[in-house]
Amino acid sequence: MSRDKNVKVGVYICHCGFNIAQTVDVYEVTGFASRLDCVAVAREYKFMCSDPGQELIIKDIKEMGLDRVVVASCSPLMHEKTFRKACETAKLNRFLFQMSNIREQCSWVHQKKEEATEKAKALVKAAVMRVVRQAPLDPVVVKVNPATLIVGGGIAGIQAALEIADSGNKVYLVERDSTIGGKMAKFDKTFPTLDCAACILTPKMVSVAQHEDIELLSLSEIEDVQGFIGDFTVKVKKKARYVSEKCTACGECVKACPILVPNSFEENQVARSAIYRTFPQAVPNTYLIDKEERPPCRETCPIGQEAAGYIALVAKGRFAEAARLIRRDNPLPFVCGRVCYHPCESECSRRFADEPLAIKNIKRFVMDWELKNKALVEVPKAEKKKKEKIAIIGSGPSGLACGHELALRGYSPVIFEKHEVAGGMLILGIPEYRLPREILNMEIDFIKRMGVTIKTNMALGKDFVIDDLFSQGFKAIYIATGAHKSLKMAIPGENLEGVLHGVDFLRDINLGRPQPVGKRVAVVGGGNTAVDAARTALRCGAREVTVLYRRTRKEMPAEEAEILAAEEEGVAIQYLVAPVEVLGKEGKICGVRCIRMELGEPDSSGRRRPVPVEGSQHDLAFDTLLIAVSQEPVVDFLTGKFPLNVTKWSTLEVNPETLETNIRGVFAGGDVVLGPATVIAAMSDGKRAAEAIDKYLNNEPLADFTTPRAKKLAKRDESFRPHRYAPAFKETPRVPRTKMSEISLEKRLKTFEEVELGLTEEEAMKEAERCLNCGICVECQECVRVCEPKAIDHRMKDEIKEIKVGQILLATGYATLNSKALSLYGYGQFDNVYTSLEFERIVSSTGSTQGRIVLKNGQEPRAIGIIHCVGSRDEKYHPYCSRVCCMYALKFAHLIKDRTDAEVYEFYIDMRAFGKGYEEFYSRILEEGVNVIRGKVAEVVQSGWSKKEEGTLLIRCEDTLIKKYREIPVDMVVLCNAIEPQPDAGDIQRLFSISRSPDGFFLEKHPKLDPTATATDGIYIAGCCQGPKDIPDSVAQASSAAARILAYISKGEIEIEPIQAYIDPELCSGCRLCNDLCPYTAIKFSEDEGISKVNEALCKGCGTCVAACPAAASQQNHFRDEQIFAEIEGLLGG
Amino acid sequence: MSYLYYPGCSLESSAKSYDVSTRWVFQSLGKELVELEDWNCCGATMYMSTKETISLVFSARNLALAERMGGDVVAPCSSCYTILNKTNKILKENFILKAKVNQSLKREGLSYHLKVKARHPLDVLVNDVGIDAIASRATHSLEGLNIAPYYGCQIVRPEGVFDDPENPTAMDKLFEALGGNNVYFPVKVRCCGGMLMTTFPEVALKLNKEILECAVENSADCIVTTCPLCQINLDAYQKKISKKFKIKVHIPILFFTQLLALSMGSTPKEAGLGQNLVPAGEKILGGRL
Amino acid sequence: MAVDVLKEPGILDKKESELRAAFLYQVSNIPGGEKIKKCIQCGTCTGSCPVSYTMDIMPREIIALFRAGAMESVLNSRTIWICASCYACTVRCPVGIKVTDILYALKRMAMEKELFPKRFPIFVLSKSFVFLINRYGRSYEAGLLLLYYLRTNPLKLFSLLPLAYRLFRKGRIAPFPARIKKRKELSAILTEAEVMEMIVPEGTYPVVPKRAVAPGMIKAS
Repeated sequence: MSRDKNVKVGVYICHCGFNIAQTVDVYEVTGFASRLDCVAVAREYKFMCSDPGQELIIKDIKEMGLDRVVVASCSPLMHEKTFRKACETAKLNRFLFQMSNIREQCSWVHQKKEEATEKAKALVKAAVMRVVRQAPLDPVVVKVNPATLIVGGGIAGIQAALEIADSGNKVYLVERDSTIGGKMAKFDKTFPTLDCAACILTPKMVSVAQHEDIELLSLSEIEDVQGFIGDFTVKVKKKARYVSEKCTACGECVKACPILVPNSFEENQVARSAIYRTFPQAVPNTYLIDKEERPPCRETCPIGQEAAGYIALVAKGRFAEAARLIRRDNPLPFVCGRVCYHPCESECSRRFADEPLAIKNIKRFVMDWELKNKALVEVPKAEKKKKEKIAIIGSGPSGLACGHELALRGYSPVIFEKHEVAGGMLILGIPEYRLPREILNMEIDFIKRMGVTIKTNMALGKDFVIDDLFSQGFKAIYIATGAHKSLKMAIPGENLEGVLHGVDFLRDINLGRPQPVGKRVAVVGGGNTAVDAARTALRCGAREVTVLYRRTRKEMPAEEAEILAAEEEGVAIQYLVAPVEVLGKEGKICGVRCIRMELGEPDSSGRRRPVPVEGSQHDLAFDTLLIAVSQEPVVDFLTGKFPLNVTKWSTLEVNPETLETNIRGVFAGGDVVLGPATVIAAMSDGKRAAEAIDKYLNNEPLADFTTPRAKKLAKRDESFRPHRYAPAFKETPRVPRTKMSEISLEKRLKTFEEVELGLTEEEAMKEAERCLNCGICVECQECVRVCEPKAIDHRMKDEIKEIKVGQILLATGYATLNSKALSLYGYGQFDNVYTSLEFERIVSSTGSTQGRIVLKNGQEPRAIGIIHCVGSRDEKYHPYCSRVCCMYALKFAHLIKDRTDAEVYEFYIDMRAFGKGYEEFYSRILEEGVNVIRGKVAEVVQSGWSKKEEGTLLIRCEDTLIKKYREIPVDMVVLCNAIEPQPDAGDIQRLFSISRSPDGFFLEKHPKLDPTATATDGIYIAGCCQGPKDIPDSVAQASSAAARILAYISKGEIEIEPIQAYIDPELCSGCRLCNDLCPYTAIKFSEDEGISKVNEALCKGCGTCVAACPAAASQQNHFRDEQIFAEIEGLLGG
Repeated sequence: MSYLYYPGCSLESSAKSYDVSTRWVFQSLGKELVELEDWNCCGATMYMSTKETISLVFSARNLALAERMGGDVVAPCSSCYTILNKTNKILKENFILKAKVNQSLKREGLSYHLKVKARHPLDVLVNDVGIDAIASRATHSLEGLNIAPYYGCQIVRPEGVFDDPENPTAMDKLFEALGGNNVYFPVKVRCCGGMLMTTFPEVALKLNKEILECAVENSADCIVTTCPLCQINLDAYQKKISKKFKIKVHIPILFFTQLLALSMGSTPKEAGLGQNLVPAGEKILGGRL
Repeated sequence: MAVDVLKEPGILDKKESELRAAFLYQVSNIPGGEKIKKCIQCGTCTGSCPVSYTMDIMPREIIALFRAGAMESVLNSRTIWICASCYACTVRCPVGIKVTDILYALKRMAMEKELFPKRFPIFVLSKSFVFLINRYGRSYEAGLLLLYYLRTNPLKLFSLLPLAYRLFRKGRIAPFPARIKKRKELSAILTEAEVMEMIVPEGTYPVVPKRAVAPGMIKAS
């Protein structure tokens, strides 16, 4: 330690009155210190922090030429500044001073004097060994950004914001809720003065809104905080409000909204609509929409039909609006209401509770209602007509949808149809008993009236080829010719007489060409075509019809409802059997040789592949066989000089996003691309094609399409909630799906009349009410329709805002203990047991009962019990006192006395009326004749044993002042449940790197002398986030925080410890490890020197690089390795 | 998997039916009960209240025996169950008492090292075997039977080892799964008075009246209990109570294992129903007489 | 009941301080027994107690009286004997006081110090119970009740006969006491335990931890 020999250390041991001297032998420590290396002088003194104490140091430095000083006393938090100043007055650099704490963790905690003294010695030695290695440093001065961030818009946040802003400094006030005001906004009166909370709060809220120096960020949360005092960078997430500032708060939207959810501002005692304003004086006074992720029914629908939307409207009996909404996205609403395979229903959240909603049937009801009530909306007209000629080939669902969409976009497309009637598979494939012709024709007619021309008997490839269309001046072509060719089974005897193909059979029937069917008909296949064919065959006079399917019912692709209907009508279905040969007699079919199947491994379609069972062949007698195994497109029309690419499944090859074929201007979709698919999928293609063509004709890039496609939804299970207010699925009351009534069976077998009769208004509404409103707002667009200033936009997105501030005040408030936790007090079990906040809303004139204090049954209570310390002063919940309960409980008592004749009982353990005017308020309550009973309530039970008889409540307790066990009957109970930290206090703590005390509230720097600052410079706390508080205290703390903040702002700059890192150029190997590790990007690699360098202005002295540097080249001022090692060595008595 | 069975004194006489039914249930669930060899009285609450070390030694001897045989002890009697648990707790937290106890146990060449867990059959059935497993074995649904599940004090208090001390639900869930209907029964953990029936009868009678009355009020067909003392108090004094308080109570009091056995297809005899003073009626037996 | 007051400043009379020491020792053996110091006199115990209405001293008062230096009146109370040990108080006490166990402790003391009415039911019951299990290793309900009533109120036996008969017919009364095999060993254990009971290891009396005062900061004058 040669180098240390020539330094002179002065050591000063403080008695701190008895605090240290009582347990630490200061004289022994002093003696010990004086014998240490480099120590020139060691003294003890009663109070080193006193002026004479400091004088001692100054004198020694001057006279003895000390160049290092150690003071062993209290925590540096207390007096480091004091002693550093003393050193500087004696011209000694403050960083040559070291403080050693022999009080908090030494004299205070030790019981045996010897131990304490030993520890003190070690601490002093450590300090000495460290200080001799310390070097003089110059403090770093940084500018203070005058802007301030305040988190939390409760009374504390508001108060501080106004005080800071009034001095002309910028304030960002971030509030998580939709309005500022916090808990105070919920209160009616405030103790002890009983002035109305709103009257004193709302003026402040308004001036926040109007203040030009306050930027209010409501519905916002802090995402990230970087930097340090004077210069913080904060990311704020502004949640979408879906209503812009244009909102005039007229409230029309509320009338239009069909959704109701619990109103959290009213403590969920009443409901509110999905679009709402928290309360009339809310600031900002803009409405907002309560949304979660979109409903699955809508997400999974290939055309993005707003299902949840019209269901909600139906539930409210607003059928016309529902119809309007359906028509907005759906070109063929009647058709879909009857034959859609409704993927929406298989995703419906309700299925977790009982059964999915009958969405298809509801839609059908709405459209039928529209028809019956002649409410048909007038044909939509596009604002500007476009002249480009567009050809659509095929008038099936895809072609029609495409025509419809194009018409909406202002075009007048022409549809070419091969057959004599329009409709494609809708008319040729689907039997009339499922989709009546007049309905279908009405749909087609509607589309025609929109300006779509349909030319029938025009077959592509026969009557014309693609080239002709171009030469006739068509600019774009959409091919949607479907998949009409039935696949053969490739078994012997397929060509015998009496063997028909399902699609051809249905087509002929549907075109009114009666088909001869025998008495015993077999249908091969398991799809809708097979089932349709079977049911049609029955209607054509077949005596018995058997469906032969090679897999089981589970794999059968046909719609369940259809299969059931078929079985009702007497169709027999044989599973796990496949024909291997058609048996014939003189050229006519006389039977089918079948083989049994069993299920093997899953195939490409995911269904288990059927495999023949050896020797299970058997013959079945039939006189007609309908083959309906599968279809494929007919692509023989592809003649001319435009060869379109065809896949190996003989479907057209297109870009799935844009539906372009390999030929410019030619698009294709529907079954001709997808192979035999569904009506709704075909329609989705049609709409998409229309948009693509529109873009193509306007020479826009074929990208960012707005027409929806079916989305694959994430797997959901019972744990999933429709939305955050929804009850657990097992708590949802079971309501079975409403069934449609049907025409009689014999009628069904004779005629082609529509089988299902649809729902009645009552049935439809009942069914619609089963909807769980996934995502709360169902985007029915009604609010948009009624909003005069056009302020509503459902497509709004959350945004991230980055702000720069110098200091931060946290006023994030409190939560209250969930009273359900205390089963003894019957909250949630009995009516008329309320929490304090619920009761605040009950007594509030704007609250759920307009301030009338009544029981659930509307009667006035005869007696009310108010229970103090619910979860407070109780080790099982919160050991601390919540501090405000006694007083607001007394306030409640007063209000009850004021408004009712009820007896009031206050059950308290100790009455804490500590504030100004509080004790007087207490005595006033006593004068008013409130019964105060000293004793913690043991339990609240129902008087009378059985739940059946609506009994009053019994409060059991000891009246400790008369030493009696008492049971007091009351009608209503109010629980003063404990104040506790916000559930996410932990996240905020981490975000702002501050600490919390064991009770979970934010920890102040010093409990008495610095209650608003935190251990992190530049971050302050105020209000209940620091601990339970009443309004006066919160406001006082807020003001003091504001003063603290303003002090730095007016100072303009601030000194910070010069503890930056520096990199020793000699040792740095240039590995750059530190460059990326540095959280403040303060380290850059200098190419020319080949080493890393620290930018001192940016470095915050976090030490990350020091720890990481493999060459120990990175060191941190005042925390250099040798200093720390020396300190440790000293501690270990080295 | 097998358990060490500690019947306790009452199950040898006044609560034989509890013993019989418990053994039957465990056997038919394929859970072996091996009776603790030469077990002695647990000490019971009153004894706890005379001499501390001695009382501890008493229950500790059983635990020591169990430790030697290895495994958890299943004690149907609530009192035994609590005592054993409590002994464990005290010896765990107070090494001096533990030393004293082991010093005494030496005389029989025994010693105890806190390795044994004391369990209540309800705990074992609900948490080890599992309600679903039991329900799947049930042959006679309890459909339409109104049950008042009465837990008494000592299986949930003071520690509440396997259920909530204020509102236990293990039995409720069990019988619900078996098709039974649990009536509203706010007194499910209210005390029956225990030995007060002998020492301060007037007090105990009132307590029992409250419980019985509550069950009757809520039209229960039977009260189901887990404790020999509760059972005999509720069962034996109904006449007296009816007379004293001028009310009419006549309601069978079953051990939960008795009802369980019945629903699992036991004969009334196998369920030990012969011993109930208030006979289990037709509604409970479901035509099995 | 009269509460003995302090005779001299800070000094309890001899008997009282003995009782107090014994009590504190008993309490110190209860896991979590020290919590008794934290009682806030809220009365939850009384309110939760199903039999408090017949007690002469409320459970809460037991602790109050102990603090006031009136152990003797506590030990003479009917309260400690009436507790049915249902533990409701213990479960609900907001500061975690083991009330039931503390009452046990008091019963033990009362019997040790013979502070209770002679022929006091529970005491007799306990003694009879002890007698039986020491003898057989098992309890013998019938014998127990017989002994109990013989020692307290023999006439009552007759009123009990009908019930006894009913129980007997149902096979719920064992005619003979069950006994364990190793009775000799058991009594050996018990004699040893008796000795153990006498030993009060030094230092097990609850020591009040010396708490250093942490005053506010001293300002520089």
